[in-house]
Amino acid sequence: MSTEIKELKYSTFKTNIKYSVINTKVHNVDGIAKVTGRAQYTFDIKLPGMLYGKILRSPHPHARIINIDTTRAMELPGVKAVVTGKDTLGIKQGIWRRYEELCDEQILPLEKVRYIGEPVAAVAAVTEEIAEQALDLIDVEYEVLPAVFEPLDAIKKDAPVIHEGVERNVNVTRHIEWGDVDEAFAEAEKNGGYIREDWFRCSGQHHMCMETRAAVSSYTPEGKLTVWASTQSAYYTQALIAGVLGMREGDVRVIATYVGGGFGGKFELDAAMFCSAVLSKKLCKPVKIVFTREEDMIASKRRTPMYYYVRTAMSRDGQLLARESRMFSNGGAYTGMGATALYLSGFFHSFPYKWKAYRYDGYRVYTNTMPSTSMRGFGAPQAMFCSEQQIEWMCADLGLDPYEVRRKNAHTECYEVPGQAFIQSCGMTECIDKIEQWAKSKGDLGPNRAIGISSCGFMSGGIFNWFDSPYSFSSAVVTINIDGTVELHVGCQDIGQGSNTTMAIIAAETLGVKVEDIKVHSGDTDHCPADLGAWGSRQTLMAGNAVKMACEDAKRQLLEFAYAEMGLNIVYDLDIKDRWVHVIARPERGMKYEDLVRKAIRAKDGQRIVGRGYYTPHRKGMISPAYSYMMQAVDAEIDPETGKIKVHEIMTAHDCGQPINPLGLVGQLEGAASMALGYAYLEDLPMDEGKLLNPNLVDYKVIRAPEMPKTGMIDIETYEAEGPYGAKEAGEGLTNPTAAALGNAIFHALGIQMKELPLTPERILRALREKKEKEANK
Amino acid sequence: MEKRALKLSVNGQEYEVFIHPKTLLVEVIRDHLGFTGTKRGCETVSCGACTVLVNGASVKSCSVLAVQVEGMEVTTVEGLEQDGKLSPIQKAFLDNGSYQCGFCTPGMLMSATAFLKENEGREVTEHEIREGIEGNICRCTGYNSIVRAIDAVAKGTYKEE
Amino acid sequence: MINDFNYLKPGSVKEAFEMYAEHDDCKVICGGQSLLIVMRQGMVAPEYLLDIKGLDELRYIKYDEKDGLRIGATTTHREIEKSPIIQEKYPVLSLMETKLASIQTRNWGTIGGNLAHADPAGDPAPVLIALNANIKVGGKNGERTMPLEDFFKDYFETALEKGELVLEVHVPVPPAKTSVAYQKFNLLDSDMGIVAVAASITLNGDDTCKDARIVLGNAAPIPKRVKNAEELLKGKKFDEKLFEEVGRISYEESEPVADIHASEEHRRHLLSVLTKRMIKKAWEQARAVA
Ligand SMILES: Cc1cc2nc3c(=O)[nH]c(=O)nc-3n(C[C@H](O)[C@H](O)[C@H](O)COP(=O)(O)OP(=O)(O)OC[C@H]3O[C@@H](n4cnc5c(N)ncnc54)[C@H](O)[C@@H]3O)c2cc1C
Ligand code: FES
Ligand code: FES
Repeated sequence: MSTEIKELKYSTFKTNIKYSVINTKVHNVDGIAKVTGRAQYTFDIKLPGMLYGKILRSPHPHARIINIDTTRAMELPGVKAVVTGKDTLGIKQGIWRRYEELCDEQILPLEKVRYIGEPVAAVAAVTEEIAEQALDLIDVEYEVLPAVFEPLDAIKKDAPVIHEGVERNVNVTRHIEWGDVDEAFAEAEKNGGYIREDWFRCSGQHHMCMETRAAVSSYTPEGKLTVWASTQSAYYTQALIAGVLGMREGDVRVIATYVGGGFGGKFELDAAMFCSAVLSKKLCKPVKIVFTREEDMIASKRRTPMYYYVRTAMSRDGQLLARESRMFSNGGAYTGMGATALYLSGFFHSFPYKWKAYRYDGYRVYTNTMPSTSMRGFGAPQAMFCSEQQIEWMCADLGLDPYEVRRKNAHTECYEVPGQAFIQSCGMTECIDKIEQWAKSKGDLGPNRAIGISSCGFMSGGIFNWFDSPYSFSSAVVTINIDGTVELHVGCQDIGQGSNTTMAIIAAETLGVKVEDIKVHSGDTDHCPADLGAWGSRQTLMAGNAVKMACEDAKRQLLEFAYAEMGLNIVYDLDIKDRWVHVIARPERGMKYEDLVRKAIRAKDGQRIVGRGYYTPHRKGMISPAYSYMMQAVDAEIDPETGKIKVHEIMTAHDCGQPINPLGLVGQLEGAASMALGYAYLEDLPMDEGKLLNPNLVDYKVIRAPEMPKTGMIDIETYEAEGPYGAKEAGEGLTNPTAAALGNAIFHALGIQMKELPLTPERILRALREKKEKEANK
Repeated sequence: MEKRALKLSVNGQEYEVFIHPKTLLVEVIRDHLGFTGTKRGCETVSCGACTVLVNGASVKSCSVLAVQVEGMEVTTVEGLEQDGKLSPIQKAFLDNGSYQCGFCTPGMLMSATAFLKENEGREVTEHEIREGIEGNICRCTGYNSIVRAIDAVAKGTYKEE
Repeated sequence: MINDFNYLKPGSVKEAFEMYAEHDDCKVICGGQSLLIVMRQGMVAPEYLLDIKGLDELRYIKYDEKDGLRIGATTTHREIEKSPIIQEKYPVLSLMETKLASIQTRNWGTIGGNLAHADPAGDPAPVLIALNANIKVGGKNGERTMPLEDFFKDYFETALEKGELVLEVHVPVPPAKTSVAYQKFNLLDSDMGIVAVAASITLNGDDTCKDARIVLGNAAPIPKRVKNAEELLKGKKFDEKLFEEVGRISYEESEPVADIHASEEHRRHLLSVLTKRMIKKAWEQARAVA
């Protein structure tokens, strides 16, 4: 492929290749199925003889299980089985398989329950109604134990012990440090620098996938189990189920063709999968379990609530000198993915700035509340809420231009985050320039209204293998049929983010065919290669690279035949584009792709053309092979009498490398904005003694169409050498800046500093009152 | 508590089902007749995933007793396409990428269809479109692509074939 | 899970009265928008369910220059919202309806059901009380009419006696130079109100206040008139300071209950702000009407 490289002001380099598929508007490959109601989700699966399962849940935040008597339940006509911890022998599991102590969750616990809603027994019956009735007939004797709900209480010496042997309930700690932080602060002080410290409280958030957690398990007498699951990683689900049931992975098949949303909440083993599998194995019948919305809310997992202490030193001219942060997160009852969120929060808390000295200490503390885990943004939205507001306030305190200060300190290409990460492409500075232009072009917005900004960056493919997968991070197999149609088998999981379409685009571009030539097979462990799944913004980069490699492999085989067939001088370059195999220098010289395929397969003794590809990151630092960057501006108006927020517009300048699927990109941007805006001012999970107070969609508010503001995107194109066709992550990172940007808009509109999420009218009015009192006292 | 026969028409086809009076319309549609395009996402009539049309008006089928639609005409997402041809709003959803996971999509399409029908021949504002779908939650798209799709159809970009 | 029940479907209002009188543990269902939720939670589990949704006798909107507006109980929210005569003569009713739940709920839920449900956060009641509406109820033993204000007794409790149905809402013709404004405070466009205020202002020819009716929603177990505030306004001129003071009375006289959406103090504060704003708005509107 001839690649002309030209220098661009803001990027490492840029190909000026005219793509035929990449960055063109294509319909989602699952589109027709989804707009006609044909798409079958786990929620829709119905098998012959299928039973329905229901789960009995703990009413106590912390209690010892003394006895569970299932006799009465078993006597109810229609009930086929009841299982408890005794049936599963309390096998502990977790997604951090490399670390035994972090595999701390028995899905049906034997000894004790640690949060309200924790499963204690599961029933299978001929109807859902009978199963539900049976729950009332299970007698559980508990010994209620003292409980603790907040990390700052749970970490105290005399707090109740949630997991035996875990001192002060500290589940995991993470320390990140570079430079000499103490010296940097001392020096800042000596030189008259400005030091500011603040405490912040960031709330939890529920993923609120429209499809609640659901699974259908079918165990058959030959010892094989098939599980339809609403999961973000069919492979993880397969491996985890095999682990807890003592089966071989290959004997468990997980199917997840359509998944009604994930957002970070669906790649651990959940009680729907686990209990349905256990029941099915016991009965040799299919068992379906679907969480009600209430169950989904009280007993799944959530975005991690965090308390942040942030101390920052800035020189009088806006140089960021040092930062020291401590964070205490409410881990809830179990580890889940929370350990990763703990690390990433601290890492992205430093973004996107070049700190000379930086220190972060994170403590994830167990409490008797529902476990917290990863959610879109993975700890970064919280980190940015604290960091980007504090920097804004410091700029205001010092009378500095917040754009200038950010520009001065921003990451640039080829920057090394000391000891942590190497940044290749980076369009941060241009993001700042563009947002500044946009904001200034808006002119005076009138009273009680202002634009707030926040910058941030995010990983493009987490390099974590706490799961201890022996397989490549991503794999793909491409098979070309005699008529030129292509079967693309990928392990990556489409949960609505459109990875099937992204992979089809990359495959079509690489092979030189059309998207409609590609049939994507995903979400089935029997037929697709293993892949770590949809988390950590991995898929575009990692699965995309695997697909590209597989297609290049297949294409190379085709072109070998083309050379022979066309009798070309070996110095000539061949390529395929739009189903035309041709000499690059003389595009008119060539042959039809379909003809080439037919001949090549014949010459291969009738074998179909198969290409294989995989991706496992090596020598890419500890976090990610590449990083996306962005700055977001939120234009908001606040009614100073009621505290009600009206968001007029959200504008984002975004460096995601080369966009692959423009429709998908806009969708990710807008979807992230609505979710992040909800986090900023609507969504919260208030509890009383561990009991969730709003476990339904009436009291838990999410953004709806009328609240959703206008959104815009300024695309900052860079080329990421590590990504397929220069692409990077787009979608998860976009959740990070919004809460901070809205907080900054409120700051500029009303002059108040909001340190607690969500930004409710009541909190806004309280801050206004305090400001007035302060001014009166002056 | 006796079961009773219920006649209704779904997507132009007459059906008779035998149900308990407490059966919800969504249960008849999904469980008895197998139209699983219609989804459910809550127990509090909040999410709109179950939206269908009854005699042309949108309702949340989880909030209606099936016996109450005796003799009425129900339209579900499966009834939008005609002989394999997508309806204008379905096409507009494809072109605008107005769905991601797709779970809210059937309900959203039904609200959009009712809105478009009601406002046929009228110019609609963006805010009206937003209010037209406010009973439907979408956690994936942020709604704006859906608003664009409805707007495109309202403006006549898609002609019925 | 909804408990089993026997289903009763009357063909006429008369038959409905009889069935209702005949069956002891019997509950009425109309649109079911509120009822089915509580039935699903098992909070209501009647032996009989009387379905009046199909009673078209009660499904009407009638207007007469002298008598005013009459709305039958099974009329849907959406029919009220879209009614040209209501849009013209009682625009506040139609506007209130546009913010009541979502279209789907308005398409199936009814005005009778809404009032009978007696949710203190319900939207129609404060507006209708500000409009001085009456409600007609009746059963096997006859019909009676009362001011809507007297219909509400407590949280989810009304003056309906056993065997009685809501039949009709009657809104009289408003006095000259009268206008009503209504607003609820919520975070989502058509959510139930955290609090709400309806204010009706009638002006004299000299722009002084002749009469006022102020009704607070979700500020007490039932829609709450603020009569002290109304009295204070009478005879006064347009005066924003005065409106602040009136707001203050709402603040003091309301008895809101705290929940996760707002503290008691915040609700009182919002009530005072909305009272002030709605009086001002109704006043300005009243100047413009004949
Ligand atoms: C998602 C959602 C949002 C909502 N938002 C709002 C809102 O913002 N504002 C608002 O005001 N309401 C709101 N509601 C409530 C709802 O719209 C109304 O209360 C509902 O329309 C009631 O009418 P219905 O016909 O459905 O009554 P049903 O649910 O059938 O009945 C409600 C109660 O009234 C009784 N009843 C019904 N009709 C009669 C009658 N004629 N005589 C005697 N008793 C009767 C029933 O026995 C029952 O106790 C919302 C509801 C939902 C589901
Ligand atoms: S299922 Fe949520 S509104 Fe019907
Ligand atoms: S597309 Fe997933 S909820 Fe709307």
